[in-house]
Order: sequence, then C-alpha cells, then structure tokens
Amino acid sequence: MAVCAAIVGKENSPKFFCCVNPDEELNFQYKVLSSLDIIEEKLNPTNKPGTEIKELYLGMLYSLETCKIYGYVTNTKIKFIIVVDSSNLQLRDNEIRSMFSKIHSEYADMVSNPFYTPGEPITSKLFASSIKNIITGTV
Amino acid sequence: MEQRLIQIMQGSPSFYQNYFNLPQELKVKPLALIGFSGLDIVNNAIHKSVWETFINRNEKAAVSYKLISNTHKFPVIKPKRNSYDWYVPKGILKNNWMIKHLNELPAVIVIFYDLDWKDSLWNEKMIECASRVQSLRAALEGRDTRIVVVLIQNVLPLPEDPLAAERAVALCSSCELNSQSLYILPHGPHLLGYTIRLENTFFEFCQNYYYNCAKNVKLHKDHLNKNTHQYLFVRHQFKMAFFNELKQDIQSAHKHYSLSYNNLLDIRIVDTNALEIRTVAGFISYKICKLMFALNLPRDAIAQFKSHIDKFKNRSGFQELAFEHFAWLSKQYEIFGEIFDDAVKQGLPAVQTQHPGIYYQQGAQYAILRKKACQELCSKIIAYPHPDPLEGIERIDFYGQRLWRPGKMSSEPPEPIVEANGIQALQFLENQINHSSIIISLYGLAIAQYKIYKCPRTRRHLVLQMAEECYDSKDFGKALTLLSHMLSDYREEKWWGIISNILEKAIKCAYLTANVQDYIQLALEILSSSINVALEDKKRIYENLNRIFKKQIPYGDPKLPHDVLQNAIILWQPVFNNVEPSVFTLDMTKIISCVESKLRFTKPTFEIDQKVSIDIFIKTTCPFPLVFSDISLKVNSPCTSNELFIDKSEKKSLIFHPNEVKKFVIEFEADPNDINKEIQIEWMNITIGKDSECLVNLKFETQILNVDNSESKCFQKQGKNSDFNTLKSIHNSIVVPRDSKVNLKFEHDLPALVGECYEVYLLIINEELSAIKDLKVEIYTDDGNSETQFSSLPSMQPEKLPINLPVSQTLEKDSRIRTSIFIRAFNPEICNIHVKIIYTLDSDKPVISIKNEMIILPVVQPFEITTTYVSVLMQEIHKFYAGEEFGVMPLIKFLSPWPIHIENTSIEFLPPLKSLETELHSQIAGLSFNKEEISSEFYLALSEKSSDQNMVVGEYIVTWKRENGASVITRVPLHGYHCDWIPLNLKISAPAHGFVRTPVIIQYHLINHSSHLVQLDVGMEASDGFMFSGYRQSSVSVLPNSTKTLQYNLYPLIAGSVALPRILLTIPENSTDGPALRQDQLNQLIERTIPQYIYVIPQIKGNAELPEIIESREMVLSS
Repeated sequence: MAVCAAIVGKENSPKFFCCVNPDEELNFQYKVLSSLDIIEEKLNPTNKPGTEIKELYLGMLYSLETCKIYGYVTNTKIKFIIVVDSSNLQLRDNEIRSMFSKIHSEYADMVSNPFYTPGEPITSKLFASSIKNIITGTV
Repeated sequence: MEQRLIQIMQGSPSFYQNYFNLPQELKVKPLALIGFSGLDIVNNAIHKSVWETFINRNEKAAVSYKLISNTHKFPVIKPKRNSYDWYVPKGILKNNWMIKHLNELPAVIVIFYDLDWKDSLWNEKMIECASRVQSLRAALEGRDTRIVVVLIQNVLPLPEDPLAAERAVALCSSCELNSQSLYILPHGPHLLGYTIRLENTFFEFCQNYYYNCAKNVKLHKDHLNKNTHQYLFVRHQFKMAFFNELKQDIQSAHKHYSLSYNNLLDIRIVDTNALEIRTVAGFISYKICKLMFALNLPRDAIAQFKSHIDKFKNRSGFQELAFEHFAWLSKQYEIFGEIFDDAVKQGLPAVQTQHPGIYYQQGAQYAILRKKACQELCSKIIAYPHPDPLEGIERIDFYGQRLWRPGKMSSEPPEPIVEANGIQALQFLENQINHSSIIISLYGLAIAQYKIYKCPRTRRHLVLQMAEECYDSKDFGKALTLLSHMLSDYREEKWWGIISNILEKAIKCAYLTANVQDYIQLALEILSSSINVALEDKKRIYENLNRIFKKQIPYGDPKLPHDVLQNAIILWQPVFNNVEPSVFTLDMTKIISCVESKLRFTKPTFEIDQKVSIDIFIKTTCPFPLVFSDISLKVNSPCTSNELFIDKSEKKSLIFHPNEVKKFVIEFEADPNDINKEIQIEWMNITIGKDSECLVNLKFETQILNVDNSESKCFQKQGKNSDFNTLKSIHNSIVVPRDSKVNLKFEHDLPALVGECYEVYLLIINEELSAIKDLKVEIYTDDGNSETQFSSLPSMQPEKLPINLPVSQTLEKDSRIRTSIFIRAFNPEICNIHVKIIYTLDSDKPVISIKNEMIILPVVQPFEITTTYVSVLMQEIHKFYAGEEFGVMPLIKFLSPWPIHIENTSIEFLPPLKSLETELHSQIAGLSFNKEEISSEFYLALSEKSSDQNMVVGEYIVTWKRENGASVITRVPLHGYHCDWIPLNLKISAPAHGFVRTPVIIQYHLINHSSHLVQLDVGMEASDGFMFSGYRQSSVSVLPNSTKTLQYNLYPLIAGSVALPRILLTIPENSTDGPALRQDQLNQLIERTIPQYIYVIPQIKGNAELPEIIESREMVLSS
C-alpha cells in the first residue's frame, strides 16, 4: 500500500494529488516536487545521448528515511509519482510497476473524457476514488 | 557566588559549543613527528635557512617537524605493566594520547651540530656533541625514539677523505651511535637536494618507529580478557590503527580501525556509558569513512556511515539529555557531509542522488529535533546548579565521559544528586545554544550542494525550511526575503497548494516586520481564487488591506503569540505616522493576483485619422469587492510615450465584485510621426486608495506573450464563462496612413502596343469632405530596369521616374482634374505602373493622405512582320545569286485588337542589294487592318555581290497609327540569305500564252557576266505539245560580259498548260575552262529561271487574231 500518488503535467505543474492521509499532503507535495529534480535529470536527453527512453517506469527516485518515491513518465511527459512508506517492505518493484500501469490506464480513460480539458488539474471524483483504490491496493 | 556564575556563563558555553565537535587531534591528518634539536633559528642565519628548507616545501613526505629545545621535557613514560589481571580500564580513549604522539613524542630526534671535519677544535666539539646526544638520550629514557646526528658543515665534503672517515668513526663511537645515524648537511647551494634526501631517510626511521610501536601494542593483546578489558580491545586496536596512520599505511590503519569499531559494538551500552561509547564510535567511524574515501571506496564509506547511524540512532541514553543524542546525530551527518565534500574536492565524482548535501540536510533535520528536544526538556531550567558539576573539565582523562563522574566504571551506580545536578547543568547550557543558527548554517551548506547537483526544486524546499527556521528564530525579515524569492519559482510551476502555504507564512512575516509594500502585494495574491486559504483568513486579510488603504494599522493573525504581536504593533506605529500620503508601487507583472487583466488593441492597424482604441478587461477573483480609484495605461511609440487614463466621467463604477469582468476603453489619437510604426502598451497601472491617505499603484507590465500551451488551446471550452480566459491580449498595433477618399480613375485603351506613345488619362475626383491642397501625383514602377519610357508630355520626351505629373496644387471639393501620362514600351510585357497621390486636407487638421493605385498595363506587339523571298518564277528561294533578280515579300500579320491604319511602308535596301524599281511606293499605304489580317507587298531586288553570310536585305519601315492615334514608325530589319555567284545567267523571253497552231517565239538569253568565255552545249528536248524550229543541238560560246540569245519558234499543237520543250545546258566534255560552272549549278539555274509550262489557248474560231509579231511575219511572208 502506497501513501501518496501524484500526477504532474508536462510543465511540472501538479494535475492531481492524492494522499491516504490528507494532513500530510503538503509534506508529500514537497517530496514529490523534490523528486521531479531526479525525473528531470533522467529525462534530460543530453545525459545519455542516443538512447531514447523507452521504459516508462523510472524506478525508485528517492529513498528517504521515511519514504521511498517511485516515478513513471508517459510518452507525453506526464509524470506519475508514487510515495511508499519506508517501513513498508511488502511492496516490491513488480507491484509498484503494476500500480503505475493501472494509474496510467485510469489516466488515459480520464483524458478521453470530453468534459476534461487537457492540461487542467483533474477534479473528477471518480478518478480520485479509483486512484485511491489503486494505491491502497483495494482493487 | 554570583561572580562564579558569571564565570561559568562565560566559560562553559564556549566549552559546550565544542562539546560535540570532533577534537582537532582526530581531524588532522596524522604525520610522523620528527624533532629537531640544536637549531638556533633566532640567532643563527644558517640554522634558520636549514629549518626553513625543511618546513617550507610543497612536496613534503608525510612528516611534521618540531623544534626541541635543550630543556624540553618529554611525556613521562608510564611504568610497564606485566599483567593486566587486576587492571580495570577507566575509559576507552585517553584524550591526551593522540596529542602526545602527534605533537610531543617524536619518532626521530635529529641533533644538528655545526662541525667541519677540519675544525680546529675538533676534539672539544666532538665531546660537546656527544654530551648533547647523551642528555637527549637520558631525557628519552625508555622510549624507542631514534636519535640521529646531522653535522652542518660549511665545506663541501670531499670524496674519499680519510680524515673525514676517521673522524666520523670517532664521533660515532663517542656519541654511542651507529654509523647510519650520522649525517652531513653541507650548507651550500644544493641545500634543497640534501634536505630531501635527509627527509626521506628520517621518514624511513619514523616508519620503523611506528611499526614497532604498533607491534608493542599488539603484544598486549594476549594479556587481555573479554570480560574486564572490553575497553582495552577497542583502545589497542585504535592505537595500532593510529600508529599505522602515522606510518602512512592507510590500508592497515583502516583494518585496525574497523576492528576497533567492531570491538566497540560488542560493549553493552547502558545509560552511564552511552555518551562515551557514542563519542568514541563517532571518532572511529569518522576515521574509517575518511580512510575509505582516501582508498577510493566511496560506496563503502557511505555504507559504513549508514550502518553506523543505524546502530546508534536509537541509543539515545538519558531521556533527560535526548537533545545530546540528536546533537550528536546531527554532528555525525554534518561531519560525514564534510568528509564527502572534501573527497569531492579531491576529484571524487558525486551524483544527483548521492552527494554531500543530503547529509547536511539530514544534519539539519537532526538539529531541528535537537532544538525540539531542548525546548521540551530545558525550557524550565533557569538556574545553573551549584556547586558546578562541570568544574574541572581539564581533569577529564577520557573522551566522552561525564564530567561529574570521571573515570568511574559504568557498572558503578550513579549518585542521584550529582547526576541530577550534572544533567541540570547540561540542560541549562543547552538552553543557551542558538539552535537556529546551527540549523540555518546546515541548510546553507545543503542548499549550496543541491545547487551543484542540479536539484533546483529540492533546493527551493530547503530554502523554505531555512525560512521556516528564520521565522522560528524570529528573524522575520530574512524569512520574508527567502520566502518571496522562492515564490516566483513555485508560481511558474503552479503548485498552488505550496504557494498558498508559503504565502500564509510570508504575509505573517510581512506583518511582523511591518513591511507594508510586501504586505499589500502578498494580500492581493492571497485573495486570488487560485490560492487555497480559508475564507475567514482571506476575509481578515481583506479587511486588513482596507485598513492599510485608510492608513490604519492592520490586525495581526490571532494565532500569533501575544508578545510577537505586541512587537509588530510597535513596528507598525511609525509607518503611518507621517502626514504625507503614502505611495506604494507594486510590480504585479509576475504575480497571479486577485486582479487579472487583459489588454488589447481593438485592431491590428489604426489609420492616422482614426482614434486608436484599447480595450481593457479587468476581472477580480477576490471573494470580496475591490474598489479601484483609477486605471491608466502607458503606451509607447517610437516618437512618443504617454500615460493614458480611463475616462472616469463614464458611469462605469470602479467597484469590482467577485468574478466580475469589466471592460474599459481608452481612445487616443496617434501622432502623425508614428505613421507606419508600432505602438505598444508598456504597462497598466491600477490605483487603489486616495491621494490623501494611501495610494497603491499596481503595475502590470505587459510581458512578451508566452505562447500558450497549444494543447490546452485546442481543448479550451468555448463557453460563456471562459470568455475572459479565452481573450487574447494584444499589446501592439501599427499606425498606418489614413485611407484617402480621393477617387482616381484611369481612361485608356488596353493593351498598349509596342512602340506606340500610349496615353493614360488620370481623372482625379475629390470626394473628400473638404478641399485638398499640396496635391502631388507621382508615377513610379516596380522595376527601374525596364526600357519603357515615361513622359508627362505627348512629345514623349523621356523623363526619369518617379515623375510628378503637372497638376494644379489644389482641388476643390467634388471637383475633378485630368492629367495624362505617356508611356512607350519597347517590349511586349506587363508593366505595373504605380500612381501615388499625396495631398493634405485643407481643413482644421491638416492630415497628410496618400492614395496608391496601380495600373497593370499589358503591352503587346501591334503586328508581326515576316519576309519571304521568291524567284522570278514566284517560287520561294533560300539563296540569292549575285546578279539574279528576286522578289522580296514582307508580310505583316496584325495582332492589335484595335484596327491599325498603315500610313506608309517602304524598304530601304542595304548595298550591295538594290531595288530594281526606279520608284518605290508602298502597295498597302492608306489601308486599315483588323486583328488577324495579313498584308503583303512585293519588291524586286537584286544583289550585286555574292556573300557567304546571310545578308541583311534592308529595313522595312512601316509608318502606322491607331485610328485617331499618333503615327508611329516601326523599322524592321529584313534578314535574307547568303548570295552565291555563278558566271552565267539565263533569261527567257516568252509571251504569257500562245495559241494552238499559232507560232510562238521564245528566246533564251544566256548572259555571261564573268570576264571569261563560257562554252556550253545547248540542247532542246523534243516535246509532244510543240513542233519547233531552231537549233536542236548546238555548241554555244558566250563571250565575256555579253549575252547570247537563242531563238526558237514554237508551234503549239495542243491546248492547255503544256510543258515546254526542255532546254538542256551542259558543259562540253573537252572544255578547257576551270570549274567555274558546274553541271548542278546549270540545272538549278534552269529550274530557277525557265518556266516548265506555258499556257496554250485553243484556236479562235473564225479569223484568228494573230499576235503582232506573227502577223507582221505573215505580212512579210505574204509580201
């Protein structure tokens, strides 16, 4: 079970934020924002010339004392970030991966909604609840 | 008593501040110590230079030198212990041990002595030297320190000097030294080289010495037992490691430090020894990490540090002294950060996820925990205990022991009162510490590192945390500066949640520092709908804002502590005290505030006589109404710069309700100098407040419009609500000349014909509302290369472009003038002629107006002339023969859509061609031709000379005009063929027709126009249509330049177009003449000149009227 999931847009502005514990949201926002540094660096094509990143899953970005942060970037440079509590040892890489791909497909469905303007923050309650279900592992 | 307390207060905090730092002796790089004795660097220049050569070198071996005076006291040697059975160590590491080996106990002592081999007082000096050695040896009794003698000599040593060898042996024996301990240092030009060699030797001795030291320590191991001597296991390994380090064997040093560390971990930690073990563990771990970085094992160093932290993180010792534990942890991180940073400076590559900044950051985190623990535990301590439990700091022998229980065993039960006093003393001291400055400096270090490793966002977060700490330490000004610097970056990425959080803090800081300007700005930003702040807070801020506008002190946040509020109010007092109105100008450009605006020029271009108008749309997202007092715009153009205000007489109120969009229009007249130039809006200014009280200018600079996210543009909803959002700002426009109302008409008959003088009538009608003056009509074309001629006169005197057509300067309203332009084009093309009318309106406001028109004038050829050349038989020829006449037939094909009247045509032949007609006159003069008609003429001509090249026959001159037009002369060169020459010409004289059974006389003239005799065989073939008389076959000689005539009498037998008997001319076979004439030329000549047929008309019934010649013949016959 993850504690937080975030969707960050192409220009690094937040599109969606979901915390299991809403009191910690601000704290997690800072953490997610910091992890964007790592994502930016990973996506920077000058670092590895010639190798196009085909793998969307970026792996663990940060391992802090309290939490671990994982990242995932779609081809349109939408970033998904999952924060997992450090004490949580049950979640392995594979589960994180599948969590990301579930979020990705939810996101794809959400963007297909004609009432959603791409680039705007996501306000759909249905989407929020399905993401929450994904990160808490209830689906 | 009071004095005593003051003394403590002065002395102890400084001790306490260093309480957690690593001791200097641990941090320095251990260097082998070499003592120099006998050098008098103060009085003796030679000694001084020797000393300086030793110490002032860049590439030194890992040694340090120390001057030892004669009276120097070395540390007392402790009595050797044979058995450890009853020995109980009082601590782990003695705090004087490292200093002793680093600074006090040399591994090698060098005795310098000035002595030349040939010294006159050799014996006396030798004895003195020996006594020095002896006294040092006595001082070092029991130590293994090596003693070396160096003789400083002024004379360079000679190779194989028997005296030197002998005396050296003597000196050694009197000093009781072996021969390897005596060295010579000649003081001369090569001093540096000698010192390097000496140093290397000394260093070798040092290594030996330290090796032995380590070995001695190792020997103790067998005497120890695990129960009582756990501390000694640690201590001995540490000592061995340190000796190895002095020996510069870092591999072994690392090994022993690791062993020492592992032995330390075996010790059971209780409250009483927690501090000591923690301290020593920190020391050893520091050494291990540092050596690992030196051994280029950064990963291992990091792993060691992590496990070190993991092991000690939860062993906090006394609960009452929890802050001590956090202080220690914080220090551990800071120290590791420093080692890491040093290693990076030595060339270790660090990465984004593993760099010193991370450790500084953690250090800061623990420093915060320390501060919290301190606040929890120490806030109640207000008195320093008496008697001072920390008295006698100097007497503590071991690192990390409590001052109030020195040297006591951890198993001894603590004395409660002493213990409590000690804890109270530490708590008191801890309370004096400025935690915030520690935290802030750690953040500062971390921020610098994160900047290097490209983590701008993490860095920003740290800056915010730093600001938080500044706020906590009541440095609100600095906190505000830090916060407002970070805001812009967060705004860029639109993290509203974070921005809201920062804004809330920042406005508190602005309030607490009575910073009006920032307060207003932050308040306006907070009131924006994007900022997620509780409505009641927004309301409070809104009310405060209104108070500021009225020069009243705003109310503070009720959540702030009372004393802080009090201070703030004191600060606010003087802000509004001055009588003059306060004016604040805020740059709102980059701030997403509660006032949003869109500015746009209503048109991309404005004509000069029109008013330029700018729409201003203003929307507030403030949840409460906002009142503005004025709105103005700054508009710039290359020539002017104006501030324009909205028309307040308009009934539009400047009270803005939430989410209300209001539109204002500003109109102004552009400067005529700005024609064809760009005008721009530089900024918009919204004023709030009154002049008499507090005036706030919100300045919105127009930025270069960043291109909107195209994606969102595509998907933008086109609803009513999004009207304001979808509006596009347009910040620039162009002033253009006014649109003229003059009517310009052209009258002409298209197309123009090449060569003609083409007239275009220009009709200018003034349809303006007033008369015009300074009228100018200018003609110009696109390309200046054209050969087309322009003229303002019908005489077609070519003039240079642009031409000003002669027109009257003024033109009354509704009147018209005519003028013409004459054009002569020489090529069929399309000619673009521009007409520009410039004038000034003769009215109150003289506005220059310009009207541009263009005439597209196609130019076509009036006709096309082709020429054919024919022989006398009217057959087309492609070659002329000199002396042979031929026909020139110019054909004119008319192409003009308008009828063309030919006034005259003529041919001017060029010599050697000449006309055969005495009087040339045109055959088509006076005729008119329509399009597609073709005229032709015929002229007989003759070439007098032969020519190898195509001949120019002459010029065909056509004088023509349009119906009612001016006449034009077109000259066309006629191109002919080349001209051959043959000596013979042939002509036939025959009637046009004959009659059946009526004789016809035909004469063939053979003309020789050469100066040679021409001999020919002439034959006449038989013909079915005729009987004839004359020579059937004869040989003819034609004399030079004469004509020979052959006459035949033909008697036609049948009617019709009857083939004439063919004449045959052949060159006699035995002709002596050269090849002047060839047979094929003769055949061609016949073909060209002799008709093949003749018309024979049937006989007239009745009396046939005979042709004259025959009649006369008949008359002759009959008579």
